Amino acid sequence: MDLTNLYYSLRLILPEVIVSVALLIIVIADLILHRDKKSIPYIALTGMLAALAFMITDLAQQGFAFIPSKSQHMFGMVAVDAFGTFFKILIIISSVFIVFFSNSSLEIQKVSDRIGEYYTLIYGMILGMMFMISASDLILIYLSIELLSLSSYVLAGFTKLRDRNSEASLKYIIYGAVSSGIMLFGISILYGISGTTNLMALNKFFQSPELNLLTLSFSLILIFAGIGYKISAAPFHFWTPDVYEGAPIAITAYLSVASKAAGFALLIRFIRTSFVAVVDAQGNWILFDFFDWRSLLIIISILTMTLGNFSALWQNNLKRMLAYSSIAHAGYILLGLAVLSVHGLIAIMVYFLIYLLMNLGAFFIVMLIADKSGSENIDDYSGLGYTSPLLGVALSIFLISLTGIPPTAGFIAKLYLFIALVDANMIAVAVIALLNTVVSLYYYVRVLKHMYLTKPSASTSSVRAVGINYAVVLILTIPVILFGLYFTPILEFVKNCISILSI
Amino acid sequence: MIEVGLTHFLIVSSALFSFGIYGIITRKNAVMVLMGIELILNAANINFVAFSRYLNLGLSGQVAALFVIILAAAEAAIALAIVLNIYKTFDHVNVDEIEKLKE
Amino acid sequence: MNIYDIIFYLFAAITLVSGFFVVSTKNIVHAGFYLLFTLFGVAGLYVLLGADFIAIVQLLVYVGGILILLLFGVMLTNKITSVDLRSGTSYIIPAVIGVGILWGALTAVLFKTSWRSKAPSGMDPTTSEIGRLLITDYVLVFELLGILLLVALIGAASIARRDKE
Repeated sequence: MDLTNLYYSLRLILPEVIVSVALLIIVIADLILHRDKKSIPYIALTGMLAALAFMITDLAQQGFAFIPSKSQHMFGMVAVDAFGTFFKILIIISSVFIVFFSNSSLEIQKVSDRIGEYYTLIYGMILGMMFMISASDLILIYLSIELLSLSSYVLAGFTKLRDRNSEASLKYIIYGAVSSGIMLFGISILYGISGTTNLMALNKFFQSPELNLLTLSFSLILIFAGIGYKISAAPFHFWTPDVYEGAPIAITAYLSVASKAAGFALLIRFIRTSFVAVVDAQGNWILFDFFDWRSLLIIISILTMTLGNFSALWQNNLKRMLAYSSIAHAGYILLGLAVLSVHGLIAIMVYFLIYLLMNLGAFFIVMLIADKSGSENIDDYSGLGYTSPLLGVALSIFLISLTGIPPTAGFIAKLYLFIALVDANMIAVAVIALLNTVVSLYYYVRVLKHMYLTKPSASTSSVRAVGINYAVVLILTIPVILFGLYFTPILEFVKNCISILSI
Repeated sequence: MIEVGLTHFLIVSSALFSFGIYGIITRKNAVMVLMGIELILNAANINFVAFSRYLNLGLSGQVAALFVIILAAAEAAIALAIVLNIYKTFDHVNVDEIEKLKE
Repeated sequence: MNIYDIIFYLFAAITLVSGFFVVSTKNIVHAGFYLLFTLFGVAGLYVLLGADFIAIVQLLVYVGGILILLLFGVMLTNKITSVDLRSGTSYIIPAVIGVGILWGALTAVLFKTSWRSKAPSGMDPTTSEIGRLLITDYVLVFELLGILLLVALIGAASIARRDKE
């Protein structure tokens, strides 16, 4: 690869280059500033905002980066397109919020002498996620998943203050290392069958008539096991409740939104690039018929939804309940993927944008309450609506939105999902999703009941959001209501971003 | 005995993979689980290098194996750091006895 | 039956027998040393496959780095002053059956596939070619691995260090 190609490729991945440079600046700043590490969060924030600015102004840019020199095909390792940039913008927005969460979180303030390492690891996660979203080669996919995972394993146990932090990181790394090892074995077999690791070249290979279906299915099962672990789809979701409960709540919020978004973007790109033979006039994807993709996706998504929703019914710990609720939401999003068309894709992207706001909001309020009262148990939320009015109202809005009741944005997200399902004639599945939403109503409303219909007990504290916290709560709450009523801007934005680079 | 070919190497790698899975399922000590994971990664590496040679794919398989070796080193470092942390907290490293996080 | 086949069977036997003992012996330190022989066997297999650079990297990084790290882990997390270094196992019979089925299925699948294998070319030294590939085709992955190693280093040190009292 000669120099002009290299400059072209670097220009395409400029946001990732900015993030890498910011990572190195944080490491150096951590070394230089011995005593006063107050400025490191500001440096982190600056890096993220710079990357965000570049991505927003450059939304239409697309192309292949890092094309191998002697290859017959012109497909490179990294595919930069509007779809990828959309998800990267979501990742950076959630990272910006996490900087604010970490600044306000009591747990993270207790380890403020290690704050440089904390932000280095956050940036490691960001870089891993950004490459996961736009990688077009299985080796790069695997390595970026590992970069994300390694940073997350450490961050899950970062505070080391309580037993459950260490236990969370142990469970996370054992599950994660096993899943990624299995995924690597699947990648190696796929490499052997097809002779390449590039996703576009795989598409060309799948078009050839003589294919050994058994070996191919075997390797694909192993690879999808690894990806399924990342998005917490059943039956690979068993790590999620323990890790989400044990990790510091800022990291839990980050994992539940950003890591899931990156995993889904990867899955969508993988399926769209490698397995779609042709896209017909209505925007439906016609996949190679190795196995029945739609039924497989439907089964996994129903399993995920049901397990998530029904397990959340029994939880008394808010963090664990929100963990199971995020598993259920992954199930809904998988349904959007099962539609296998452009409309499903639009539904998924709208869902993720809104899910980011409401999930981050819910976790933020739980964090503020847990910092003040020291507990995440639902019994300590009794009467919270009266002792802490602003936070009570905000939490109610987020919970109602997570359920999907109008006039919140969560309703719009589910609406688009159901529209896509009905358009694809998957009525029975839509009914099952609707029933699951009704089940989820119970456990979300239980928190509301505790907050407003029970008297404040002695252990309920009155939490006030001051300064930055107040601003963050407003920034998260107002769009949730606003987009529930006036959602055209989101729709226009998403429709501009649905181009995935492929054949 | 037949001439050594691709399938011989694949049998070795699949056996290593199975041993790795067995080690992960049955072993209680966290370091033993890590050894099982290393066996799985080595099995995948043998696959990469063998395919690269016998299917005339240039050196892409070997480069992939190189990357996996580097990654395994980083992963082992972090895994052992976490295991040391667990040992400091719980005074043992048996994974099935660490069950503080309950429903 | 030429010398190549004999050496292959030798190294395959070392790898598989040691691999079996890694996962089935009760003594943890013994398991670590059996892992050493397994990794040596794998390095020998790499040489037989013409991957000389990868074989040396395997010896340097896996045996010389990761295995030493694992042995340190074993030493630091078990009370080795007591005589008994046994590590427990659980669910042996179901695991044996399950993994046996898995291995049978895997081998059958890999056997039945008609790999489009060509006769292997001669064995050239690979180091310069791998070096060239790392700088041209795989430069992104190479640099990303550099960042991964930095992040792993910082993360591992951050988790494992003793808290400043």
